[in-house]
Amino acid sequence: MDAKEFLVQLKARTGYDFCDYSSLSITRRLEKICEENKLTFESLLSKLVTDKAFLSKIVEDITVNTTELFRDPEVWISLYKTMYQKLPSTGTITFWHIGCSVGLETYSSLILLKEIGVLDRIRVFGTDLNPRVLNVAKKGSYAHKFNEHFKTNFEEVMRNIGSKSKFEDYFDIDEKNDTMTVKPFLSAIPKFMQQNLVQDKAPFPYKVDIVFVRNVLIYFNDALQAKVMQMINAKMYDEGMLILGKQELIPNRYSGQYKQLGYVHKRM
Amino acid sequence: MSDYKAVVIGGSAGSFAVVLKMLSNLKVTFDLPIIICMHRLKHIRSGLVESLNVKSCKEVIEPFDKQKIERGQIYLAPSNYHMFIEFDGSISLSTEDMNHQSRPSIDYTLSSAASTYRDKCLGIILTGANKDGAKGLKDIADKGGFTIVQDPKTADVPTMPKAALEIMKPNLILSPDQITDFLNKL
Repeated sequence: MDAKEFLVQLKARTGYDFCDYSSLSITRRLEKICEENKLTFESLLSKLVTDKAFLSKIVEDITVNTTELFRDPEVWISLYKTMYQKLPSTGTITFWHIGCSVGLETYSSLILLKEIGVLDRIRVFGTDLNPRVLNVAKKGSYAHKFNEHFKTNFEEVMRNIGSKSKFEDYFDIDEKNDTMTVKPFLSAIPKFMQQNLVQDKAPFPYKVDIVFVRNVLIYFNDALQAKVMQMINAKMYDEGMLILGKQELIPNRYSGQYKQLGYVHKRM
Repeated sequence: MSDYKAVVIGGSAGSFAVVLKMLSNLKVTFDLPIIICMHRLKHIRSGLVESLNVKSCKEVIEPFDKQKIERGQIYLAPSNYHMFIEFDGSISLSTEDMNHQSRPSIDYTLSSAASTYRDKCLGIILTGANKDGAKGLKDIADKGGFTIVQDPKTADVPTMPKAALEIMKPNLILSPDQITDFLNKL
Protein backbone atom coordinates (compact mmCIF):
# COMPACT_ATOMS: atom_id res chain seq x y z
CA MET A 1 0.00 0.00 0.00
CA ASP A 2 1.35 3.47 -0.79
CA ALA A 3 0.33 6.83 0.68
CA LYS A 4 -2.26 7.49 -2.02
CA GLU A 5 -4.05 4.16 -1.48
CA PHE A 6 -3.82 4.72 2.27
CA LEU A 7 -5.61 8.07 1.94
CA VAL A 8 -8.36 6.59 -0.22
CA GLN A 9 -8.90 3.82 2.36
CA LEU A 10 -8.75 6.29 5.25
CA LYS A 11 -11.48 8.37 3.62
CA ALA A 12 -13.67 5.33 2.93
CA ARG A 13 -13.35 3.93 6.43
CA THR A 14 -13.14 6.99 8.72
CA GLY A 15 -14.59 9.86 6.66
CA TYR A 16 -11.38 11.90 7.03
CA ASP A 17 -10.51 13.05 3.53
CA PHE A 18 -6.91 14.14 2.90
CA CYS A 19 -6.87 12.97 -0.73
CA ASP A 20 -6.56 16.52 -2.05
CA TYR A 21 -3.68 17.47 0.20
CA SER A 22 -0.48 18.27 -1.66
CA SER A 23 0.94 14.81 -2.24
CA LEU A 24 4.60 15.25 -1.35
CA SER A 25 3.90 16.92 1.97
CA ILE A 26 1.18 14.52 3.10
CA THR A 27 3.27 11.52 2.05
CA ARG A 28 6.20 12.84 4.02
CA ARG A 29 4.12 13.33 7.13
CA LEU A 30 2.49 9.91 6.83
CA GLU A 31 5.88 8.26 6.48
CA LYS A 32 7.05 10.11 9.56
CA ILE A 33 4.00 8.88 11.50
CA CYS A 34 4.65 5.28 10.37
CA GLU A 35 8.30 5.57 11.37
CA GLU A 36 7.55 7.06 14.80
CA ASN A 37 4.90 4.45 15.56
CA LYS A 38 6.84 1.61 13.90
CA LEU A 39 3.87 0.81 11.64
CA THR A 40 3.37 0.08 7.96
CA PHE A 41 0.60 1.86 6.01
CA GLU A 42 -1.50 -1.34 6.34
CA SER A 43 -1.09 -1.65 10.11
CA LEU A 44 -1.52 2.12 10.55
CA LEU A 45 -4.83 1.93 8.70
CA SER A 46 -6.21 -0.96 10.75
CA LYS A 47 -5.22 0.75 13.99
CA LEU A 48 -6.92 3.97 12.86
CA VAL A 49 -10.14 2.16 12.02
CA THR A 50 -10.36 0.47 15.43
CA ASP A 51 -8.85 3.05 17.78
CA LYS A 52 -10.78 6.36 17.95
CA ALA A 53 -8.30 8.11 20.24
CA PHE A 54 -5.40 7.15 17.98
CA LEU A 55 -7.37 8.41 14.98
CA SER A 56 -7.82 11.88 16.45
CA LYS A 57 -4.16 11.99 17.45
CA ILE A 58 -3.09 11.11 13.90
CA VAL A 59 -5.50 13.62 12.34
CA GLU A 60 -3.79 16.16 14.56
CA ASP A 61 -0.36 15.01 13.39
CA ILE A 62 -1.39 15.28 9.75
CA THR A 63 -2.78 18.78 10.06
CA VAL A 64 -0.28 21.54 10.77
CA ASN A 65 -1.09 23.77 13.74
CA THR A 66 1.95 26.04 13.91
CA THR A 67 0.97 29.62 14.72
CA GLU A 68 1.93 32.60 16.90
CA LEU A 69 0.54 35.89 18.13
CA PHE A 70 1.17 38.49 15.40
CA ARG A 71 3.09 35.95 13.37
CA ASP A 72 5.15 37.91 10.78
CA PRO A 73 4.61 41.35 12.38
CA GLU A 74 5.15 43.11 9.05
CA VAL A 75 1.95 41.47 7.75
CA TRP A 76 -0.08 42.82 10.67
CA ILE A 77 1.42 46.29 10.42
CA SER A 78 0.47 46.35 6.72
CA LEU A 79 -3.01 45.06 7.57
CA TYR A 80 -3.54 47.73 10.22
CA LYS A 81 -2.66 50.49 7.80
CA THR A 82 -4.96 49.14 5.08
CA MET A 83 -7.82 48.43 7.49
CA TYR A 84 -7.52 51.87 8.99
CA GLN A 85 -8.26 53.40 5.60
CA LYS A 86 -10.52 50.81 4.01
CA LEU A 87 -12.78 49.32 6.70
CA PRO A 88 -16.45 50.24 6.27
CA SER A 89 -17.14 53.27 8.46
CA THR A 90 -20.56 52.04 9.59
CA GLY A 91 -22.26 48.70 10.15
CA THR A 92 -21.00 45.37 11.36
CA ILE A 93 -17.56 44.22 10.23
CA THR A 94 -17.09 40.46 9.85
CA PHE A 95 -13.76 38.62 10.04
CA TRP A 96 -13.18 34.96 9.23
CA HIS A 97 -10.01 33.08 10.18
CA ILE A 98 -9.83 29.84 8.18
CA GLY A 99 -7.57 27.23 9.76
CA CYS A 100 -7.42 29.31 12.93
CA SER A 101 -5.55 26.66 14.96
CA VAL A 102 -5.32 27.71 18.64
CA GLY A 103 -6.74 31.16 17.86
CA LEU A 104 -3.63 33.29 18.23
CA GLU A 105 -4.07 35.09 14.92
CA THR A 106 -7.78 35.54 15.61
CA TYR A 107 -6.82 37.33 18.83
CA SER A 108 -4.16 39.28 16.91
CA SER A 109 -6.82 40.73 14.63
CA LEU A 110 -9.12 41.43 17.59
CA ILE A 111 -6.29 43.43 19.18
CA LEU A 112 -5.91 45.46 15.97
CA LEU A 113 -9.68 46.05 15.84
CA LYS A 114 -9.56 47.30 19.44
CA GLU A 115 -6.66 49.58 18.51
CA ILE A 116 -8.67 50.99 15.58
CA GLY A 117 -11.63 51.45 17.94
CA VAL A 118 -14.27 49.33 16.24
CA LEU A 119 -14.57 46.47 18.73
CA ASP A 120 -18.26 47.33 19.33
CA ARG A 121 -19.31 46.52 15.76
CA ILE A 122 -17.46 43.38 14.79
CA ARG A 123 -18.18 39.69 14.33
CA VAL A 124 -15.22 37.29 14.30
CA PHE A 125 -15.21 33.62 13.33
CA GLY A 126 -12.39 31.11 13.60
CA THR A 127 -12.75 27.72 11.95
CA ASP A 128 -10.53 24.66 11.97
CA LEU A 129 -10.73 20.93 11.32
CA ASN A 130 -9.19 20.00 14.63
CA PRO A 131 -11.44 20.08 17.76
CA ARG A 132 -8.50 20.10 20.19
CA VAL A 133 -7.03 23.35 18.87
CA LEU A 134 -10.51 24.92 18.82
CA ASN A 135 -10.86 24.19 22.54
CA VAL A 136 -7.56 25.93 23.23
CA ALA A 137 -8.71 28.86 21.07
CA LYS A 138 -11.96 29.21 23.06
CA LYS A 139 -10.04 29.38 26.35
CA GLY A 140 -7.47 31.78 24.90
CA SER A 141 -4.87 30.46 27.33
CA TYR A 142 -1.27 29.69 26.33
CA ALA A 143 2.04 28.70 27.86
CA HIS A 144 3.92 31.82 28.92
CA LYS A 145 7.68 31.27 29.10
CA PHE A 146 7.81 29.10 25.99
CA ASN A 147 6.06 31.83 24.01
CA GLU A 148 7.94 34.95 24.96
CA HIS A 149 8.25 35.86 21.28
CA PHE A 150 4.50 36.65 21.31
CA LYS A 151 5.30 39.69 23.39
CA THR A 152 8.18 40.66 21.09
CA ASN A 153 5.85 40.45 18.08
CA PHE A 154 3.15 42.40 19.95
CA GLU A 155 5.57 45.18 20.84
CA GLU A 156 6.90 45.41 17.30
CA VAL A 157 3.37 45.81 15.92
CA MET A 158 2.34 48.38 18.56
CA ARG A 159 5.51 50.40 17.98
CA ASN A 160 4.86 50.50 14.24
CA ILE A 161 1.21 51.50 14.46
CA GLY A 162 1.99 54.26 16.96
CA SER A 163 0.19 52.63 19.89
CA LYS A 164 1.16 52.85 23.56
CA SER A 165 -0.82 49.73 24.51
CA LYS A 166 0.92 47.16 26.68
CA PHE A 167 0.85 43.39 26.45
CA GLU A 168 -0.84 43.33 29.88
CA ASP A 169 -3.74 45.37 28.47
CA TYR A 170 -4.75 42.29 26.50
CA PHE A 171 -3.34 39.35 28.44
CA ASP A 172 -3.50 38.19 32.07
CA ILE A 173 -0.15 36.71 32.98
CA ASP A 174 0.01 34.03 35.64
CA GLU A 175 3.66 33.45 36.51
CA LYS A 176 2.87 30.65 38.96
CA ASN A 177 1.03 28.51 36.44
CA ASP A 178 3.14 29.81 33.54
CA THR A 179 0.16 30.91 31.47
CA MET A 180 -0.92 33.97 29.55
CA THR A 181 -4.64 34.27 28.99
CA VAL A 182 -6.50 36.62 26.67
CA LYS A 183 -8.57 39.04 28.77
CA PRO A 184 -12.28 38.18 28.87
CA PHE A 185 -13.38 41.41 27.12
CA LEU A 186 -11.57 40.05 24.04
CA SER A 187 -11.97 36.28 24.36
CA ALA A 188 -15.76 36.65 24.70
CA ILE A 189 -16.03 37.97 21.14
CA PRO A 190 -14.89 35.31 18.63
CA LYS A 191 -16.88 32.20 17.74
CA PHE A 192 -14.68 29.17 17.14
CA MET A 193 -16.27 26.39 15.10
CA GLN A 194 -15.24 23.16 13.45
CA GLN A 195 -15.13 23.12 9.67
CA ASN A 196 -13.70 20.58 7.27
CA LEU A 197 -12.64 22.58 4.21
CA VAL A 198 -12.88 19.50 1.99
CA GLN A 199 -16.60 18.96 2.53
CA ASP A 200 -18.22 21.62 4.74
CA LYS A 201 -19.65 25.02 3.89
CA ALA A 202 -18.80 28.01 6.07
CA PRO A 203 -20.62 27.35 9.39
CA PHE A 204 -22.20 30.82 9.64
CA PRO A 205 -24.66 32.74 7.43
CA TYR A 206 -22.92 36.15 7.12
CA LYS A 207 -20.92 37.80 4.38
CA VAL A 208 -17.34 38.57 5.35
CA ASP A 209 -15.17 41.71 5.09
CA ILE A 210 -11.79 40.15 5.78
CA VAL A 211 -10.74 36.52 5.33
CA PHE A 212 -7.53 35.12 6.80
CA VAL A 213 -6.29 31.92 5.26
CA ARG A 214 -2.67 31.91 6.32
CA ASN A 215 -0.39 29.00 5.49
CA VAL A 216 -3.37 26.75 4.78
CA LEU A 217 -3.52 26.60 0.97
CA ILE A 218 0.15 25.54 0.84
CA TYR A 219 -0.91 22.07 1.99
CA PHE A 220 -3.55 21.57 -0.72
CA ASN A 221 -3.41 20.51 -4.35
CA ASP A 222 -4.73 22.76 -7.13
CA ALA A 223 -8.24 21.30 -7.03
CA LEU A 224 -8.72 21.85 -3.30
CA GLN A 225 -7.12 25.30 -3.49
CA ALA A 226 -9.67 26.22 -6.17
CA LYS A 227 -12.52 24.89 -4.06
CA VAL A 228 -11.45 26.94 -1.05
CA MET A 229 -10.97 30.08 -3.17
CA GLN A 230 -14.49 29.64 -4.57
CA MET A 231 -15.88 29.31 -1.07
CA ILE A 232 -14.01 32.42 0.04
CA ASN A 233 -15.14 34.44 -2.97
CA ALA A 234 -18.76 33.40 -2.41
CA LYS A 235 -18.64 34.56 1.23
CA MET A 236 -16.69 37.76 0.72
CA TYR A 237 -18.10 41.23 0.08
CA ASP A 238 -17.05 42.76 -3.24
CA GLU A 239 -14.87 45.18 -1.31
CA GLY A 240 -13.42 42.42 0.86
CA MET A 241 -9.81 41.64 1.72
CA LEU A 242 -7.84 38.41 1.88
CA ILE A 243 -4.78 37.82 4.03
CA LEU A 244 -2.41 34.97 3.14
CA GLY A 245 0.82 33.70 4.69
CA LYS A 246 3.91 35.82 4.16
CA GLN A 247 5.29 33.57 1.39
CA GLU A 248 1.97 32.75 -0.30
CA LEU A 249 0.41 34.18 -3.45
CA ILE A 250 -3.22 34.02 -4.61
CA PRO A 251 -3.57 30.80 -6.65
CA ASN A 252 -2.96 31.57 -10.31
CA ARG A 253 -6.40 31.51 -11.82
CA TYR A 254 -7.79 33.80 -9.07
CA SER A 255 -4.94 36.29 -9.02
CA GLY A 256 -6.68 38.62 -11.51
CA GLN A 257 -9.52 39.11 -9.05
CA TYR A 258 -7.37 40.65 -6.35
CA LYS A 259 -5.11 43.64 -6.08
CA GLN A 260 -2.18 43.51 -3.69
CA LEU A 261 -1.76 46.35 -1.20
CA GLY A 262 1.27 45.47 0.94
CA TYR A 263 0.43 42.09 2.42
CA VAL A 264 -3.31 42.61 1.90
CA HIS A 265 -5.08 41.25 -1.17
CA LYS A 266 -8.04 43.46 -1.95
CA ARG A 267 -10.85 42.13 -4.05
CA MET A 268 -11.43 44.02 -7.31
CA MET B 1 28.09 23.54 -17.64
CA SER B 2 27.82 20.09 -16.10
CA ASP B 3 24.77 17.91 -16.21
CA TYR B 4 23.75 18.71 -12.64
CA LYS B 5 20.29 20.20 -12.23
CA ALA B 6 20.83 22.12 -9.01
CA VAL B 7 23.24 22.97 -6.20
CA VAL B 8 21.73 22.60 -2.75
CA ILE B 9 23.54 24.14 0.22
CA GLY B 10 22.87 23.79 3.95
CA GLY B 11 24.53 25.67 6.76
CA SER B 12 24.00 26.97 10.26
CA ALA B 13 26.20 28.81 12.75
CA GLY B 14 29.01 30.57 10.90
CA SER B 15 27.62 29.80 7.46
CA PHE B 16 26.38 33.28 6.63
CA ALA B 17 29.90 34.60 6.03
CA VAL B 18 30.81 31.48 4.05
CA VAL B 19 27.75 31.70 1.80
CA LEU B 20 28.23 35.44 1.36
CA LYS B 21 31.81 34.93 0.18
CA MET B 22 30.83 32.04 -2.09
CA LEU B 23 28.06 34.02 -3.75
CA SER B 24 30.26 37.06 -4.23
CA ASN B 25 33.07 34.99 -5.82
CA LEU B 26 30.87 32.87 -8.03
CA LYS B 27 30.99 33.65 -11.74
CA VAL B 28 28.00 35.65 -12.98
CA THR B 29 27.67 33.06 -15.73
CA PHE B 30 27.07 30.26 -13.19
CA ASP B 31 23.91 28.80 -14.58
CA LEU B 32 22.62 26.15 -12.16
CA PRO B 33 19.92 27.03 -9.68
CA ILE B 34 21.40 27.39 -6.19
CA ILE B 35 19.06 26.44 -3.38
CA ILE B 36 20.20 27.53 0.07
CA CYS B 37 18.79 26.51 3.43
CA MET B 38 20.35 28.35 6.36
CA HIS B 39 19.29 28.37 9.98
CA ARG B 40 18.57 31.81 11.33
CA LEU B 41 18.74 33.14 14.83
CA LYS B 42 15.25 33.44 16.21
CA HIS B 43 15.48 37.15 16.97
CA ILE B 44 16.90 38.00 13.50
CA ARG B 45 13.91 37.17 11.40
CA SER B 46 14.45 39.38 8.43
CA GLY B 47 17.36 41.03 6.67
CA LEU B 48 19.25 37.86 5.72
CA VAL B 49 18.28 37.96 2.06
CA GLU B 50 18.99 41.71 1.91
CA SER B 51 22.45 41.19 3.43
CA LEU B 52 23.28 38.43 0.96
CA ASN B 53 22.13 40.59 -1.93
CA VAL B 54 24.61 43.33 -1.11
CA LYS B 55 27.49 41.16 -2.36
CA SER B 56 25.99 38.25 -4.27
CA CYS B 57 26.91 37.80 -7.94
CA LYS B 58 23.21 37.74 -8.69
CA GLU B 59 19.94 38.28 -6.90
CA VAL B 60 18.98 35.95 -4.04
CA ILE B 61 15.25 35.48 -3.58
CA GLU B 62 13.05 34.05 -0.84
CA PRO B 63 10.60 32.03 -2.92
CA PHE B 64 6.84 31.95 -2.68
CA ASP B 65 5.04 28.63 -2.28
CA LYS B 66 4.75 26.79 -5.66
CA GLN B 67 7.36 29.02 -7.32
CA LYS B 68 9.13 27.34 -10.25
CA ILE B 69 12.86 26.79 -9.91
CA GLU B 70 14.72 28.38 -12.81
CA ARG B 71 18.27 28.14 -14.07
CA GLY B 72 20.63 30.84 -12.90
CA GLN B 73 18.48 31.77 -9.90
CA ILE B 74 19.48 31.67 -6.24
CA TYR B 75 16.84 30.69 -3.68
CA LEU B 76 17.01 31.10 0.09
CA ALA B 77 14.62 29.27 2.43
CA PRO B 78 12.37 31.96 3.98
CA SER B 79 12.41 32.35 7.75
CA ASN B 80 10.00 30.15 9.67
CA TYR B 81 9.13 27.97 6.67
CA HIS B 82 10.47 24.58 5.63
CA MET B 83 11.40 24.55 1.94
CA PHE B 84 10.97 21.49 -0.28
CA ILE B 85 11.80 20.73 -3.91
CA GLU B 86 8.79 19.10 -5.56
CA PHE B 87 8.96 16.54 -8.38
CA ASP B 88 7.66 19.10 -10.89
CA GLY B 89 10.66 21.35 -10.18
CA SER B 90 8.76 23.84 -8.05
CA ILE B 91 9.34 24.91 -4.46
CA SER B 92 6.82 24.15 -1.77
CA LEU B 93 6.79 25.65 1.69
CA SER B 94 5.47 24.29 4.94
CA THR B 95 5.09 25.48 8.52
CA GLU B 96 5.03 22.04 10.11
CA ASP B 97 6.95 21.18 13.27
CA MET B 98 10.60 22.00 13.60
CA ASN B 99 13.22 19.36 12.80
CA HIS B 100 16.30 19.42 15.08
CA GLN B 101 14.81 22.61 16.60
CA SER B 102 14.98 24.21 13.17
CA ARG B 103 12.53 25.68 10.70
CA PRO B 104 13.70 25.78 7.95
CA SER B 105 15.18 22.30 8.27
CA ILE B 106 18.19 21.54 6.06
CA ASP B 107 17.36 17.81 6.09
CA TYR B 108 13.96 18.54 4.54
CA THR B 109 15.35 20.68 1.73
CA LEU B 110 18.22 18.32 0.95
CA SER B 111 16.16 15.11 1.12
CA SER B 112 13.47 16.51 -1.18
CA ALA B 113 16.18 17.69 -3.60
CA ALA B 114 17.69 14.18 -3.49
CA SER B 115 14.34 12.61 -4.42
CA THR B 116 13.70 15.08 -7.22
CA TYR B 117 17.14 15.50 -8.80
CA ARG B 118 18.62 12.08 -7.86
CA ASP B 119 22.09 11.72 -9.48
CA LYS B 120 21.80 15.26 -10.91
CA CYS B 121 21.94 16.82 -7.46
CA LEU B 122 24.98 18.53 -5.98
CA GLY B 123 24.72 18.85 -2.18
CA ILE B 124 26.95 20.88 0.13
CA ILE B 125 27.04 21.01 3.93
CA LEU B 126 28.79 23.94 5.59
CA THR B 127 29.71 24.97 9.11
CA GLY B 128 27.01 24.68 11.78
CA ALA B 129 26.22 23.86 15.40
CA ASN B 130 23.49 21.34 14.71
CA LYS B 131 23.04 17.86 13.22
CA ASP B 132 20.29 19.01 10.86
CA GLY B 133 21.46 18.46 7.27
CA ALA B 134 23.57 15.34 7.81
CA LYS B 135 20.75 12.97 6.94
CA GLY B 136 19.73 15.11 3.97
CA LEU B 137 23.25 15.01 2.55
CA LYS B 138 23.34 11.24 3.03
CA ASP B 139 20.06 11.01 1.08
CA ILE B 140 21.69 12.92 -1.79
CA ALA B 141 24.65 10.51 -1.75
CA ASP B 142 22.34 7.47 -1.54
CA LYS B 143 20.46 8.63 -4.64
CA GLY B 144 23.73 8.95 -6.57
CA GLY B 145 24.16 12.71 -6.22
CA PHE B 146 27.50 14.46 -5.68
CA THR B 147 28.28 15.58 -2.13
CA ILE B 148 30.71 18.05 -0.58
CA VAL B 149 31.30 18.66 3.12
CA GLN B 150 33.13 21.74 4.35
CA ASP B 151 36.38 20.63 5.97
CA PRO B 152 35.60 20.71 9.73
CA LYS B 153 39.07 22.25 10.31
CA THR B 154 37.91 25.31 8.36
CA ALA B 155 34.48 25.52 10.01
CA ASP B 156 33.55 28.12 12.63
CA VAL B 157 31.47 25.42 14.29
CA PRO B 158 32.32 21.90 13.08
CA THR B 159 29.30 20.04 14.51
CA MET B 160 27.31 19.99 11.28
CA PRO B 161 30.09 18.86 8.89
CA LYS B 162 31.23 16.30 11.48
CA ALA B 163 27.68 14.96 11.86
CA ALA B 164 27.57 14.44 8.09
CA LEU B 165 30.98 12.74 8.03
CA GLU B 166 29.85 10.35 10.77
CA ILE B 167 27.04 8.89 8.69
CA MET B 168 28.27 9.19 5.10
CA LYS B 169 31.33 9.53 2.91
CA PRO B 170 31.16 12.63 0.72
CA ASN B 171 32.84 12.87 -2.67
CA LEU B 172 34.91 15.81 -1.46
CA ILE B 173 35.91 17.51 1.79
CA LEU B 174 36.89 21.09 0.93
CA SER B 175 37.56 24.54 2.39
CA PRO B 176 35.04 27.27 1.47
CA ASP B 177 37.38 28.75 -1.17
CA GLN B 178 37.91 25.31 -2.71
CA ILE B 179 34.13 24.81 -2.85
CA THR B 180 33.75 28.09 -4.75
CA ASP B 181 36.57 27.11 -7.13
CA PHE B 182 34.94 23.75 -7.67
CA LEU B 183 31.61 25.37 -8.57
CA ASN B 184 33.27 27.88 -10.89
CA LYS B 185 34.92 25.03 -12.80
CA LEU B 186 31.70 23.08 -13.37
